[in-house]
Amino acid sequence: MRFILTRLLHSLFVLWAVVTLMFLMFRLMPGDPMAAYISEALSEESKQSIRAQFGLDRSLPEQYLLYVYNLCRGELGTSFFIKEPVWDIVMAALPNTLTLTFIGLILAYSFGVVAGAYLAWKRGSLTEGIAIPIVLGTRAAPEFWVGMILLAIFAFNLGWFPSGGAASPGAMYDSEWQRLLSADFWHHLALPVLTLALYLQGLPLLLMRSTMLDALHEEYVTMARMKGLPTRRIVLNHAARNAMLPVATAFALSMGQLVGGNVVIETVFSWPGLGRILVQAVSSSDYPLAQGAFLLVSVALIAMNLLADLLYTLLDPRVSHERRH
Amino acid sequence: MSAGTEPSYGLTKKILRLTGRDPFALAGISIYVVFALTALLANVIAPHDPMEILFLPDGNVAMNQRPSPSYWLGTTSLGRDVFSQLVFGARSALMVGLSAALVVVVVGTLVGLFSGYFGGWVDNVLMRIGDIALSIPFLPFIIVLAAFVKPNVWNVVIGVSALLWPNTGRIVRSQVLSLRERSYVEAAKVSGASHLNILFTHIAPNVLPISFLYGSIVVGWAIFTEASISFLGFGPSDTVSWGFMLQDAFVSQALSRGAYYWFIPSGVCIMLMVSAGFFISRGYEELLFPKLRD
Amino acid sequence: MTCNFYRRLVLAASIVTTATGLLAPMSAQAQGAGDRIRKIVLITWPQGVNPQAHQASQFVAQAWRQLGLEVEVRPMPWSQHIQVVWNEREKWDTTMWRMVGRPERSDPDEVVFNNYHSSTAATGFNFVGYTNPEYDKIATDQRQTPEAEKRKSLVVQAQRLLDRDQPQMFLVHPSSIKAFNKDVWVEDSIVNQSGIGIRNFWTFVRATPKGAQKQMVLNSAEPVVAVSPMYIAGAASSWVTELVWDRLARVGPDGLPQPWAAERIDWVNSTTVDVTLRAGMNWHDGRPVTIDDVIYSFEAPAMGNKVPMYRSAVNDITKVERSGERRVRFTLKTPNSAFVTATLAKINLIPKHVWDPIMKDLMNKPENAESIPNPPPIGSGPFKMVRNRGQEEIVLDRFDGHFSAPKMDRWVLRIVPNPEATLGMFRRNEINFLADYGGAPEVLEKLSKDAPQLVLKSEVDIGFEYAAFNLRRPPFSDVNFRRALSMAVDRNMLVQAAWKGYAVVSNSHVSPALKYWHDADITKIRTGLPVAREILERAGYKVVGGRLNYPDGVKETLQPN
Repeated sequence: MRFILTRLLHSLFVLWAVVTLMFLMFRLMPGDPMAAYISEALSEESKQSIRAQFGLDRSLPEQYLLYVYNLCRGELGTSFFIKEPVWDIVMAALPNTLTLTFIGLILAYSFGVVAGAYLAWKRGSLTEGIAIPIVLGTRAAPEFWVGMILLAIFAFNLGWFPSGGAASPGAMYDSEWQRLLSADFWHHLALPVLTLALYLQGLPLLLMRSTMLDALHEEYVTMARMKGLPTRRIVLNHAARNAMLPVATAFALSMGQLVGGNVVIETVFSWPGLGRILVQAVSSSDYPLAQGAFLLVSVALIAMNLLADLLYTLLDPRVSHERRH
Repeated sequence: MSAGTEPSYGLTKKILRLTGRDPFALAGISIYVVFALTALLANVIAPHDPMEILFLPDGNVAMNQRPSPSYWLGTTSLGRDVFSQLVFGARSALMVGLSAALVVVVVGTLVGLFSGYFGGWVDNVLMRIGDIALSIPFLPFIIVLAAFVKPNVWNVVIGVSALLWPNTGRIVRSQVLSLRERSYVEAAKVSGASHLNILFTHIAPNVLPISFLYGSIVVGWAIFTEASISFLGFGPSDTVSWGFMLQDAFVSQALSRGAYYWFIPSGVCIMLMVSAGFFISRGYEELLFPKLRD
Repeated sequence: MTCNFYRRLVLAASIVTTATGLLAPMSAQAQGAGDRIRKIVLITWPQGVNPQAHQASQFVAQAWRQLGLEVEVRPMPWSQHIQVVWNEREKWDTTMWRMVGRPERSDPDEVVFNNYHSSTAATGFNFVGYTNPEYDKIATDQRQTPEAEKRKSLVVQAQRLLDRDQPQMFLVHPSSIKAFNKDVWVEDSIVNQSGIGIRNFWTFVRATPKGAQKQMVLNSAEPVVAVSPMYIAGAASSWVTELVWDRLARVGPDGLPQPWAAERIDWVNSTTVDVTLRAGMNWHDGRPVTIDDVIYSFEAPAMGNKVPMYRSAVNDITKVERSGERRVRFTLKTPNSAFVTATLAKINLIPKHVWDPIMKDLMNKPENAESIPNPPPIGSGPFKMVRNRGQEEIVLDRFDGHFSAPKMDRWVLRIVPNPEATLGMFRRNEINFLADYGGAPEVLEKLSKDAPQLVLKSEVDIGFEYAAFNLRRPPFSDVNFRRALSMAVDRNMLVQAAWKGYAVVSNSHVSPALKYWHDADITKIRTGLPVAREILERAGYKVVGGRLNYPDGVKETLQPN
């Protein structure tokens, strides 16, 4: 229990550090520090009211406190160009990013785990010799490049999948859940998720393979083999179970990193998620929106890191064994 | 952790032996060498200036030309030679990759050395800073950086180095932790050598090989990131890089035109450079990959 | 001793460098030249949004560099672009821009007056800052001259003045390419409007669905920044606004104005006109359209400076008053031959019960109507707003109660930023009307050959693409400098290289699509680098060390942006 608290505090500390870093970054940029919140196009009165709300006319430490206070309230300012509250804009995009990331990871990890185990089994064979460079190649190929090629083949030439967006034109739904569960949504999700999964599967595959290789060489496995137990049972009962731990941890860590890292995929497929919003906001110098999107992505990353930590500690038999003593 | 128990020359010899034996290591190093040569000899190899708008004999702009003896990989939709861009792109790629790798190696090693050797609050502070660096979303950070600094190649170098050094730092630190108990270190202490002396004369040489190997992965990673940033439109538009080529192709509808000669080669080059980093690390797997947590 | 050697070497090197540094400006002065001209920034479209103009800007920059200027081509996304050019008029040097062909521009009055009259230099369309009393007089006169021939000669004079003064560098009149899917739409029901093409109001109202698909899905590369009857925020925004709000008159497919919400338009004398409103018109919220609403629609844009984009269209009106049960009388200050096109076909009819409180509120604040980008979308037009997500899509439904209700059920505008994805969607029938295609024409042509149900139509546009100079910032305040930069570029080369032949050369704000008003001789200009260099030399500009300098005695007072 104490351990969980320590980790939680640690995460909060890191979150605070990132928030402060963002504050400094956006304040220290060249030009008018107030340009972070105030668009030139606004009238004097609007500018005044925003200054008051964010304390931009006060000293730096006071500004900082007000900034943190506003953040805690979920007050992220108003987008310069979309002219709506930043909070609403990023929250609308969040489900799209989460779905893409989550489904992509599930696909990648399902495939990776099975394929990795298979390759561990086939150690030293020709299959392994060919498969490993290919897998490394998928990890090395830029996602947007692969995405472009998939688009060219499956969307433009064959016409099997839409060429972008998350919904067909004019589609309307009563609720967010209905939208996320609709066939149209999944049809649009197919190519981006495939591209993402193709890129991601390398990690769980190699990880699974290497941990299984280690497990297969351990003494009790050799012992069990000598005793004549069926190898498959050994593999499944022991090796695979041990391998799951690092894989599960990697899953949680990837989730955090991908929430921000999906930027390129979201751009190629015009997927309306956080990454695309960040890119558009930064391109058009829409500072409040850029800050808001960046912040949300950081929060997701830190939360997922925390989850990975806790998961690892709770599940690792060695560590929990230590704790009991 | 048994890596690096021998003094440095033993480690280097081990690396060289592995290079000879392991196809992965060999492949990785060869790729690096080929691209390094291309980058150095770019002026000689490339038939044209990569940014120059070329004209046909009849006076029209040489746009969207398919591969031919005059334009080995054809031309872009603005009349620039694709092959020349590819060759000069190697230069930009290596510059980014090597700079980022250098910074990561230097910073990561220093951090690892001080952290592992001195321990205590130095260790705490450095590791905390490392945690913070690992908690910043990678690509978004570099994008935001690109917003504040005028688009240039160094954004990627700074961004990548700033966020990737912790991994090297951690590995070096764990190395140092085991090394610091070794007998020759004890001997040096007894003979009155200063801390810094011990650190840099006895310990550092043993950890450098690991740092450099990690650095080799960073080369590919930096190039990969630069390509992504350029693709998103945040890269400089006056220098050629493979990422710039891909963005140019995408936006000029190379896909619809079937101009495969334009967008396949640059992607393949990026893939090769990044793979090289992976191959090298696979070749030296036993030296590089500890368990997920030490 | 090698230490000493190196020390001396460093010392020598630094002396030489300092000397060169000191000598360089001196040598410039010795040659009789002023300061070096700062780096010029040419703002342009991102390559994905308007590839032709982006490519043109590269060619233009290359030509200017060969004159000795340092030029940075800076792509900017639309929302930022419009902000900088429109709201930060002191800050930019040059920018690519375009005047889009809109029906109201079928009469040259709007562009002739609004874009270059000194009164619109501070906050209106004259963002280049051209102030020329000679031009002002011609612009005002042509507006008040009812005799066609006389008016024509004034419009020609206006074009010649701009050619002489080159406040901006006209590049081309693009031939816009549009397309539609004839499996979805009855081909004959697609209307071509002269100077605009098939993407126009009449098509949207009259297009008849052939089969089960009863919604038109079209695209725009730019996001819709605002849907407001008081603010024109770009091309796509104006397509939506035209459908949601009615006007008293509209420009017909032939380019001439015709009554629309008005039943009849009767000129009492040269400065008085009676307009009779149709019976039975309703707002989208159910309330009836009244004469008070009509009167209010013309009074609101005149309030203070709250509606800068429409103010000039109502400036000429002394009073608007009720003159019958369904009749309004407009009294003008001076005769205005373009009144019907430039005002009656431009001002949107707005409901007083919605806008009165908004305008009253605005009068107490320093903001203007542009600060309300998406006011309540209550109009009386043939379509009503269902969903406005300007960055993604706009959905409009047919308004059944309209006197000219559309044949389709629904109109959906999708924002698709890049041409590749746009074509993909068109090919797959996700879009059935290609309203905005900025990509390569040859790719679209090939697509149409492979899929013959996709019909292409192209038309020389009323609009024009240009590189604007900011006359407030030297050296752009010098007409010789502007002429040189303009003449440096061969427009024919641009038509071929950037627009792939889908454009005609331009040197005027009056397009050849407006056959009657266009000065056919205006494009007979001599271009090329030698011509440009000659102009610069004669004006006293000198090239020093490869870079262009001001004439003798002139200092560089501005920083590059």
